[in-house]
Amino acid sequence: MSEPLIYVLDMAVFVGIFAILAVSLNLEYGFTGLANFGKVAFFMVGAYTSSILANMGFPYLACITVATFAAGFVGFVASLPALKLQADYLAIVTLAFGEILRFIFKNEEWIAGGVQGITVPSAITITGVPIQTMMLIQLTIVYAALAICYFIAQRVVNSPYGRTIRAIREDELAAQVLGKDVFKYKAQMFTLGSAMAGVSGSLFSQYVRFIDPYTFEPILTFTVWMMVILGGPANNLGVILGAVFVQALERGARIAKDYLLLPVDPHNLRVMIIGILIILILMYRPQGLFRESKVKTPALEVASKWKKRS
Amino acid sequence: MVVVNWLQVLFNSAVTGSLYLLAAVGLTLTYGLTRFPNFAHAEFMALGAYAGYTIAEQLKLGFPYSFIAAFISSAALGAASYLLVFRPLTHRGATIIHLMVASIGLDFFVRHLIKQVWGGEQLSFRMVWPYFDVGPVRITGLWVALILSAIVMVGVMHIVLTRTRLGKAIRASANNPDLAMASGVDVEKIALVVWIVGAALAGVGGLFRAADTRLVPLIGWEILLPAFAVVILGGIGSFYGALIAAYVIGLAENFGVVFLVMFKLSTDYKFAIAFLILILTLILKPSGFGRLFGEGGKVV
Repeated sequence: MSEPLIYVLDMAVFVGIFAILAVSLNLEYGFTGLANFGKVAFFMVGAYTSSILANMGFPYLACITVATFAAGFVGFVASLPALKLQADYLAIVTLAFGEILRFIFKNEEWIAGGVQGITVPSAITITGVPIQTMMLIQLTIVYAALAICYFIAQRVVNSPYGRTIRAIREDELAAQVLGKDVFKYKAQMFTLGSAMAGVSGSLFSQYVRFIDPYTFEPILTFTVWMMVILGGPANNLGVILGAVFVQALERGARIAKDYLLLPVDPHNLRVMIIGILIILILMYRPQGLFRESKVKTPALEVASKWKKRS
Repeated sequence: MVVVNWLQVLFNSAVTGSLYLLAAVGLTLTYGLTRFPNFAHAEFMALGAYAGYTIAEQLKLGFPYSFIAAFISSAALGAASYLLVFRPLTHRGATIIHLMVASIGLDFFVRHLIKQVWGGEQLSFRMVWPYFDVGPVRITGLWVALILSAIVMVGVMHIVLTRTRLGKAIRASANNPDLAMASGVDVEKIALVVWIVGAALAGVGGLFRAADTRLVPLIGWEILLPAFAVVILGGIGSFYGALIAAYVIGLAENFGVVFLVMFKLSTDYKFAIAFLILILTLILKPSGFGRLFGEGGKVV
């Protein structure tokens, strides 16, 4: 009876989790022009850190906080060797980093169960409550986290700082000539983006209640890339809508497969669609569905009012 | 204490190095010419391996035919990738990040198409290769064929690059595309030739890897990281740099595995060896061996 409701709630939770990732990638790629091809690595650090701590009996607030800092720290360290170099090196290094990290979690059983994976206690356990209510609570937690991340991202990009990182994206040399420490800004954005990925990973692990190394394959990174590219790089609201679209598409492909009896494996079909769509968007609408958001600052508002008056 | 047959390890390094060379030559040349790392290169290897498998195991033709099938099918995929995806994107003014993301999209598409056609299960070549012992070293016919292929490839590439008009045009396009164009070189045609040849060689590499170990849809992806390490260590776009780097990484990996076993670590970590070399190159000398061969590091 209420199965469609559960399905919709489940999808909404996933949209929220992925929207956090999309906002974080948007800070790195959309605003700063950093090609992070290893988003999944920092998501993974967040998920595993949070799960291990939760299994040791720490309260969830501690888990998610430590997971955020751990992912941010790993992001900072991982970015150091590659940030001084061009975009292509960063892409190769981060992609490889994610794969190596996954191999470590797969092979070192003492960390978190290796290939067997690890079960995670949920953030909140209330007995005797219907599943819908539990999912509503989950939804609230996830969207509260998304709101915080969105707020931080908006504050960062609509500030003098935000204009600097956009300048770095547009022309690194020009930004350097103006005395901006390009490397410092890039490292800070990468760290912030990774920390947000850690938040998302922590929420993900406590929601699905089980993680193993196969959860963190590179396809996850590129699902997020697709959200950003589809939604519109450098538009925080756009990438959140991108997350909605991509989730709807993924689930739609699964449902369509069941009804149309396509002789295709649903997972293969899903990934093939994502691959083709990425190429088509880059070819026909590289700016995404929504254009880059204009910078909004209090000073700008005053200036525009003043302009109108005169 | 484990007794290590060091000569065997040395020979295995030559085998691994030859494989990485075949895999990485196309990657480094297309990187130099089209100026972005093509992540879909992994699937050039995978398609060649699967096409070769179909010919050798399902149609029961011999290995030479599957060699040809791998060469041709991957060449076709390379041509299609360049003509249908990357050239139009470049014409539309795509940035390097766009091109990289598109190459990942292409990679996922092709890999899951392969999975759909051949299934995701592990396949293996049932072909039996003759083997013989030279002193303490065991050598199989497949390894000899692999090393010979690499040697022939290096010889042909060397002659083409240094002695022919095509080679001159390739070097010119890689060094300075605008100047090459101004001198009447059809840079896009040259790029197409390089994409085709590079993909075909990768297909052959994939086939050898599959015949030597096993065949899974991830086969190309598994070689991609060492191949990138070869490209970076050798200097992007440098053929001779890649030649040295491939064998350096072959040595590092095979000797590294010995140490991994000694310290009772998983041999899966041999991927980390290539990664470590990649990172160290980026920190210490981002141009790799490229500068050894002419100024600017762009000499193919």
